[in-house]
Amino acid sequence: MNELELQLVELGRELDVPAAPDLAPRVVERVEGRRPFPWRPLAVALAVVVVAVAIAFAVPPARGAILRFFHLGGASVVRVETLPPAVERSQADGLGEPLTRDAAERRVAFKLVLPSTASRVYVLGDSLASVVVRAYGRTVLVSEFPGRGEFLEKLVAGRTDVERLQVDGQPALWLEGAPHVLQYFDRHRGFREEPILIRGNVLLWVQGPVTLRLEGKLTKAQALELAHRLD
Amino acid sequence: MVDRPLDETELVEQARRGDLAAWETIVRAYQGIAFRTAYLLGGSAADAEEAVQDGFVKAYRALGRFRRGAPLKPWLLRIVANEAKNRRRAAGRRDALAVRVAAEDRPGDAVPSPEAALLAGESRRRLLEAVERLSDEHRDAIACRYFLELSEDETAAALGVRRGTVKSRLSRALERLRDELGEMP
Repeated sequence: MNELELQLVELGRELDVPAAPDLAPRVVERVEGRRPFPWRPLAVALAVVVVAVAIAFAVPPARGAILRFFHLGGASVVRVETLPPAVERSQADGLGEPLTRDAAERRVAFKLVLPSTASRVYVLGDSLASVVVRAYGRTVLVSEFPGRGEFLEKLVAGRTDVERLQVDGQPALWLEGAPHVLQYFDRHRGFREEPILIRGNVLLWVQGPVTLRLEGKLTKAQALELAHRLD
Repeated sequence: MVDRPLDETELVEQARRGDLAAWETIVRAYQGIAFRTAYLLGGSAADAEEAVQDGFVKAYRALGRFRRGAPLKPWLLRIVANEAKNRRRAAGRRDALAVRVAAEDRPGDAVPSPEAALLAGESRRRLLEAVERLSDEHRDAIACRYFLELSEDETAAALGVRRGTVKSRLSRALERLRDELGEMP
């Protein structure tokens, strides 16, 4: 540094700057009061269809020991000792491309059973379609993806409950409790998204050739009722 | 076995997963430099406080977009600096900075003669006044690089410009200051 630069550094050290207040409690309070909207990461995650056991085992260092494995349609739920690092992103980053229903069906190459009340269908990659609807006063994200294959993998740790259910006689899984992690894969099993942290409760169920996923702040009874209405 | 303190990368990863205690640790580690940045760019303690709060809240919500392994400080400072500059624009003005009254009595310094102290104080005031007359772009570059003692890369990140832009702004700002102060380059 030349003389003038050194003088500027010296000047900076002598500026009358008020002492910084401790803002950490207020920051935490604000973040706590408005936790990331549970549907947003989900929406991103919409795109997430679960992956298979083989993939689950393919990256063991990231998730610790695999304790239990559930498979349902195109999704897998893996109980692990510890969750891997996962991101939380805004809905806008992860829903995919907004399309008309017809265009979305052409893109994913299967008939959509998602609620027709939604004006737009978001499509991520080539296999995950999602809509955002309101139900029971809540925002709910409903996604649909092929029932055969390996599209979505959910990783859950100890504090997330996984319960086997049925929706109109078809197998279903209910995930409730602590946040879990979701990862989406495309038809070619390429990683499409980083692991995403999901905070809402989730119902996964099979309906004919597709698997559906519903996420939101709903009770189990509300989620089952909504799933029944979609059938 | 003794618990080792979490490093920054681990804290960020925990915060990404919703661990607010980890984020609180990060806020405490950086709120000092963040407040100083907001104050120097915005010029008001009240606005700086708001800018830092809003900045850390926004940063938490944007953690998903933070590139793993990247340095956290410049990323945080950029968010806080934006908040501070937005407030400055909204207010249409910025309070002038001031030199501490007790600047001549810094501990550890040899006691200067009254005349030397007077001259040094006057020199600092002239320099600060010259900095205050710079354009916002040049002044911000000076504030980040010299007052906050950020590196050129950190300055670039905090101001959201390229390193080359920082270098050229600093070069022009220094030239302007020399002209104002009647110094030789």
